[in-house]
Amino acid sequence: MIRLIAHRGAVLLASAMAGSIVVFLLLRLLGGDVATVIMGQGGTPEAREALRAELGLDRSWLEQYLSWIGGLFRGDLGQSYAAQYDIFDEIMSRLGLTLSLALISLAVSMVLGIIAGTYSALNSRNARGGLVDVIAQLGIAIPPFWVGLLLISFVSVQMGWLPSGGYVPWTESFTGAVRSLFLPLTALSIALAGVFTRFARSSMLDVLNEDYIRTAMAKGRTWRRAAVRHGVRNAAIPLVTVGTLQLGGLLAGTVVIETVFTLPGLGRMLMAAVTGREALVVQSLAFVIILVILVLNFLMDVAYGLLDPRIRDAEGATRE
Amino acid sequence: MSSRWPTQLVVGTVLIGLFVGIGLMSLVWTPHDAEALNVAARLAPPGTEGHLLGTDRLGRDVTTQIMVGARNSLVVAVVSTAAALVPGVFLGLVTAGSKRASREVLSRATDVALALPGILVALVLATAMGASNTTTMVAITAWFIPVMARVVIGPARQIMAREFVEAARASGRGKWYILIRHVLPNIGPVVIVQTSLLFASAILIEAALSYLGVGAQRPTTSWGMLFNESQAVVGEAPTLVLIPGVVMVLAVLGFNLLGDGLRAALDPRQTTKAVV
Repeated sequence: MIRLIAHRGAVLLASAMAGSIVVFLLLRLLGGDVATVIMGQGGTPEAREALRAELGLDRSWLEQYLSWIGGLFRGDLGQSYAAQYDIFDEIMSRLGLTLSLALISLAVSMVLGIIAGTYSALNSRNARGGLVDVIAQLGIAIPPFWVGLLLISFVSVQMGWLPSGGYVPWTESFTGAVRSLFLPLTALSIALAGVFTRFARSSMLDVLNEDYIRTAMAKGRTWRRAAVRHGVRNAAIPLVTVGTLQLGGLLAGTVVIETVFTLPGLGRMLMAAVTGREALVVQSLAFVIILVILVLNFLMDVAYGLLDPRIRDAEGATRE
Repeated sequence: MSSRWPTQLVVGTVLIGLFVGIGLMSLVWTPHDAEALNVAARLAPPGTEGHLLGTDRLGRDVTTQIMVGARNSLVVAVVSTAAALVPGVFLGLVTAGSKRASREVLSRATDVALALPGILVALVLATAMGASNTTTMVAITAWFIPVMARVVIGPARQIMAREFVEAARASGRGKWYILIRHVLPNIGPVVIVQTSLLFASAILIEAALSYLGVGAQRPTTSWGMLFNESQAVVGEAPTLVLIPGVVMVLAVLGFNLLGDGLRAALDPRQTTKAVV
């Protein structure tokens, strides 16, 4: 187990470093001169030079990169030039909302997917199972932001049941938070639940052929009870892998959904920085989002090892 | 090959045919001028004389906007998928054909690249290059390359372990000869299936980016843009969001169904697995 954690931890560190370098280089190579972007063509050469010095852009790339990464550990990423906020504090204050959206929708869609997928597998020979499959297929094709807009239109504006945007923090009011996050979470979970349903179905169909299901039936359980008691737990294990592959898409979906529902998370901050072409803010934000994906990935890999001893003990703990 | 086509393939092909059809038709004919504003006729409901699907908040004809938007989605999907195809398959083959240590490194690098969401790549690029259709296509391509490689690596390694590859190696064929002549033709089905799924994905990412305002800009028309522009009036005119969305979902569904149908048709093992 320790070996698995060490191996995954090393991969996490290497990936995080690679990610930070890619983000840094992309913005340096393609970004043009940040001072010119900020000041427009209007600034004098002296003023641009002064701004460059103020932002630390007159130093070598290596120095800039090291001071950026160092700042990340010290909690100092500098100031946003246009909006005058402290970048690190702003990220920290918005992280909770984005994590809530991502983690809750991941959990909800996984549970929904396992239930619907199991139902579909147990009814694979009749129309009800086929119907679940068709609904899942449709769900995957539906983009979260479109569902979000429809929910705003029908549930918020026409029915007036739930707010169409804005966020009440968990610490302020639990019901307020649930009310403000219910529609965004619904929008995010539909497509993801579709993905999990399809994988849970095929995973369950495999498990139903296993010997232990036959053994359980020989001991007098009905096929259905044997499948639910012994099958679901085993069929759920591969879903952890499917989950790790969905993390990137989930975080991307969260960025978009925050814009749809005007939620003050990392996504909205990123959009504002992209529109204002604030390379320094985008650099830090993009890296934090990548870091969230990588850390969640790491945690799910470790969970996978805990769930399945065969993975834990495998030599070098590689996953094929 | 069975004489009867599976339902998935038929439905998928029909949906894709409609999507490509309206996109191509917009090149020669649209009901109205795509950019013609008519504020007097703004927010006409569907079924209005002369505007089958109504007009948006600036009085532009919705049918026309959907047709021209389909063309843009088609261009973005074709260009970015085609651009990612060769480098992606190449990267996958190289990884599968490498020795253990370098294979592990390449494979991990692919996984890391995969973990970066396409939309995030696009946002970073948009900060650097500005928002445009080109930014969208570059970002989607950059994201599709590791996806394609990832899909190719597994099957390519399985083929590498087969007897006929062993025989080719024993008769003195080099690594590249084996990869191109023996492995590539055998992973064809996987690549074809994945191409179809990538098309679906490209349509969704393009729409999300232009909804966020970092994709195509007017006067180009894109589906995502239609949602962005209609969000303010979604309460009074929900069909402005509903109708283009349904068209988009059907196009995406078409490519997903085609991919699934092809997988079932081209890979018999998958079929038996699904049936049992």
